[in-house]
Amino acid sequence: MPGIQYYDLRHVNGQVTHIDIDNGVVESAGTSFFNKAVIRVLSKTGWGVLQIDNYSPCKGKKFDAILKSACRLAQITQENVILGDAPHGILSVPPMKEDPRDVCIEEKSALLSEIEKAAQHPFVVNRRANFIEKIEHVRFTDSSENEYSYEMCRSGFNILAVASRNGNIQMGYEREHSIHGFNLRHQQSLGIKAAEIAVALLDAGVAKSGKMRAVLDPELAGVFAHEAVGHASEGDLICEGNSVLKGKTGQKIGNDNLTIIDDPGIFEFGFDPVDAEGVAVCRTEIIKNGVINAFLHNRETLSSVGNGVAGHARAMPGEPPLVRMSNTFIEAGDATEHEIFEECRNGIFLKGSRGGQVDPGRGIFQFNAEYGYLIKNGECTKMVRDVSLSGEILTTLHGITLCGNDRTMSPGYCGKGGQSVPVSDGAPHILLCDAVVGGSGVD
Amino acid sequence: MRWWAAVAWIDQLLCEAQKTVDEAEVFFVKATSVSAELKQKKVNLATSSEDYGLGIRTIHKGRIGSSSTNNPGQWRECLSAAIASGKLATPHEWKGLPGPVHLSRTPLSFDASIRIEPQVDIDLIEKMLEGAEEHPAEVTAGSASLSFATVTLANSKGVRYTDKYTGVSLSLEAIHGQSTGYEFDHSPFMDKVDPVSVGERATFFAVESDNGKEIATGEYDILLSPLAYGELLGNVFVPALSGRNVHAGRSRLAQSLGETVTDPQISMYDDPLLKKASGSVRWDAEGTPTRRVDFIREGILKTFAYDLKTAYRFGKTSTASAIRGGFGGLPSIGHHNFVVDGKRDEVADERVVYIHNVVGAHTANPMSGEFSVELSNAFWMEGGEFDVPLRSAMLSGNVFDMHQNISGLSKESRAIGSMILPSIKINKQRIIGK
Repeated sequence: MPGIQYYDLRHVNGQVTHIDIDNGVVESAGTSFFNKAVIRVLSKTGWGVLQIDNYSPCKGKKFDAILKSACRLAQITQENVILGDAPHGILSVPPMKEDPRDVCIEEKSALLSEIEKAAQHPFVVNRRANFIEKIEHVRFTDSSENEYSYEMCRSGFNILAVASRNGNIQMGYEREHSIHGFNLRHQQSLGIKAAEIAVALLDAGVAKSGKMRAVLDPELAGVFAHEAVGHASEGDLICEGNSVLKGKTGQKIGNDNLTIIDDPGIFEFGFDPVDAEGVAVCRTEIIKNGVINAFLHNRETLSSVGNGVAGHARAMPGEPPLVRMSNTFIEAGDATEHEIFEECRNGIFLKGSRGGQVDPGRGIFQFNAEYGYLIKNGECTKMVRDVSLSGEILTTLHGITLCGNDRTMSPGYCGKGGQSVPVSDGAPHILLCDAVVGGSGVD
Repeated sequence: MRWWAAVAWIDQLLCEAQKTVDEAEVFFVKATSVSAELKQKKVNLATSSEDYGLGIRTIHKGRIGSSSTNNPGQWRECLSAAIASGKLATPHEWKGLPGPVHLSRTPLSFDASIRIEPQVDIDLIEKMLEGAEEHPAEVTAGSASLSFATVTLANSKGVRYTDKYTGVSLSLEAIHGQSTGYEFDHSPFMDKVDPVSVGERATFFAVESDNGKEIATGEYDILLSPLAYGELLGNVFVPALSGRNVHAGRSRLAQSLGETVTDPQISMYDDPLLKKASGSVRWDAEGTPTRRVDFIREGILKTFAYDLKTAYRFGKTSTASAIRGGFGGLPSIGHHNFVVDGKRDEVADERVVYIHNVVGAHTANPMSGEFSVELSNAFWMEGGEFDVPLRSAMLSGNVFDMHQNISGLSKESRAIGSMILPSIKINKQRIIGK
C-alpha cells in the first residue's frame, strides 16, 4: 500500500482465572476473557498505531481499511524512523509439567486454601492468598511475511500474612509464579514461612541509616540489577537522551567480577519465545566484566543507537511494544556464601524485595528489602525491618566486591509506560560496600 | 438511535441471568482514545484505540459470582462463567443490589467541546513544547492523550444508569546535564489543563535541579509538594481507610475510630460531586448514589469506606465507595475525589527542604507505614523561592506518624490522579545524606 514502509499485527486472546481467599473466605474465584490486537503501520514520518478490541482476523479490503486508518494516524508524526535488520525466528515454549487447565477450579481453590491455612498463627490476624493463571494465544504477522504463533500459560500464587501485637502491624509475603505449569501442590511451607516472617518482624528492630556494607540475597540483588542497570540500558531511553549510560559504552562502572545479562530466551518467568515485533530473542551482556557493553533494543532503537541486538520488544496484549527487560541477572561468581559474610564482617544482610524504582536520566535508583539482619563478626544477628537502599548508577556498582556462586531467579512484574509485563530478576548473594541504607533508626 | 436502544442486549442478559440466580448486575464501558507521543521534540507515534469492557456479577443465596470480557458479543459465555464462579464463593449476608433512584443526568466529568482527534493532541504538544522553551533543558519524551468513555450500569433491581466521561492528559520529561524534570496535567475539561505550564515546569525542574549540593543526615522541616505527598498518602494512608482492610486486620487505623489520627488542622474526605474534578460521579460502581464521605474531621477519624459486600458483611452501610479497576474489573473499595483540606497558610516563608517528588514510594510498608524513599527535585526553599538544589538524599519516616507533625497546608491545591492535595509542611523529618 502506498505510503506504508512496514506494518505488523500482534493479536492476543485468552483467559485469566483467579482465586482470592481472605481469612478463610473465598472472596472471588472465576474466569474472565480477553481478545486484543495492535496494528502498527510505519509511514515515512513515524508510527500510526491502532489498538483494537475483539479483533477478528481478516484479509483483503477489510484489512486494507485497517491499514489505511493506521496510516492516517501516522500523518501527524514527524520523524523518519528506520528499522534495523534483525533475525527472525521463534523458540519452542517449554512443555508444562502439569497443565493448569487440567485441574478443576474447585481443586485449585482447595489447594490454595491449604496454603492460606498454613499461615495460621496466634499473632497472625490476616491471611490472604491469591492464585492467578493467564493463558495467552499470540499471533504475529508483518509486511515481510513473517508469521508466528504460540501459546503461553503463566500461573502462580501469592500468600500474605499480617501479624499484629499492641498496635504494631507487620507482614510476611511469599510468592511463586511459573511458566512451567501448575504449581499449587505441596506449597504449605510458603504459607508457614509468610506467617513466621510476619511474626518475627513484630520483634525486629529498625535499621540505622547511613553508609555500610550490605550482603544482598539473590532476590534483592536481582532487583538491584534490574533497577540500577536494566532500565538505564533500554534503547528507547538511550535514544531519547534519558539515560546516564548514553555514550558510556566501554566505560568501566564495576569490578571485573560483575557481569549483568538480560536474556528473554531462558525458561524463566520473563521468557518470550519471540519478541513483540517478531524478532528472534537473544542474550545481551549489558555489563561485561564491569564494563558497559551493550544496550537492549527493538528494531527502531537498534538502528538509531546501535551497540546491542534487537529482540527486546515486549508488550501487554493490545498495547504497542516497548523496549523491556525479560530475565535480568548478575552472573554467578566464585565466592561461597560463607566467604561473603566473612568479608562483610560488620554490616547488614538484606532479604527479599518490595520493589524499586529508578530515574535513569539522573542515574538514581531506590529499592526496598522485605527484611534483614545485622551482621556482626560475619554472623547474622538481630532482625531488622523496613530497609531501603539507594544509589547512583555510575558509582554504586563499583561497590559490588564479591559475587557468590549460587545464582537463583525470582519472578515478578515490571511497569513501564503504563504496561506491566512478567519478568524475572536474579543474582547470586553479593557483597555491596558503601551501600546507602535508609532506615528510621538513629545512633 | 438512543444509547439505551443500542445496548438492548443488556436487558436480555439480565433476563437470562434471573432464570438461574437471585440478582445480576452488568457494568459496561465503551471508550475511545487518541494519543500522540514525543521522542525528544518530534512526534514519533500516534495511537488510536477503541476499548470495551463488560463486567458481570451474579448473586445467589449470598454467593457472589463474577466474570468479565472485552467482547460484549460474548455475553452468554461471560454470564455462564459468572454463575459458575458464584458456586465457589463463600456465602455471606447479602441485602440486595440497590434499586433505581432519580439522579440528575447532567454528566459531571464530561466536556462536550473535546474532540477525540489526533490534531488536537498535536496542538497540545506544540503548546507544551512552547512552554518548554522557557528554560534551556532538552525535552526527552512526552505525550498528549484524549479520551471519551460511556459507562453503563444495569441491574436486576431496575437500575439503568449511563454516564459520559472525557479526559485530557499531558506529560513532558526533560533533562539538563544529569538533572531530570517531569510534569503532567490531567482533567475531564480542556480549559482546566495548562499545556504551556506543563512544558515550562518540566524544563524548569530539570534546569533548576542541576548542580545539586549534598545535605547532611539529620532532621529537617520539609515541604512535600502535592505530587510527593500523594505518592506517600496513596500508597499507605488511603488503603488503611478501606473498610475491607480494616475488618481484615490489614489497617493500622482499624482500632482508631473516634480518635485523633492526624494533626487537628487536617480533614480528609471524598467528595464525588465536586464540579470539574477528575473522579466525579453521581453513582458508584455498584449503583449506590454517591455522597460526601468525611473520613477525618479536624484530626479525628470518623468513618471508613465501604462497598455493599463489605458493608453487608460487617453490619455497616455502603459509603458509595465502590470503584472498578480498568475496563470490566470487579468492584472494590476506593474513592472518587479524595481531598485533604484544612486551614491554609503560607508554608514556604521559613527555610524548609522542598520535595517535589520521591522515587520508590510504592515500596513503603502499607501495614506499618514505614518508608524510606529517594528525593527527586528537592531544594532548600526560603521566602517561597527555590534556593539551592539537593543532589541526592533519602527521606525516611512513617506515613501515619508524619500526619501528627503537620505544621501547615499550602493555599493552593492540585489534582494528582483522583486526589486533590495541598503541599504540606511537616516538621522534623529524617533526611539521610550521601
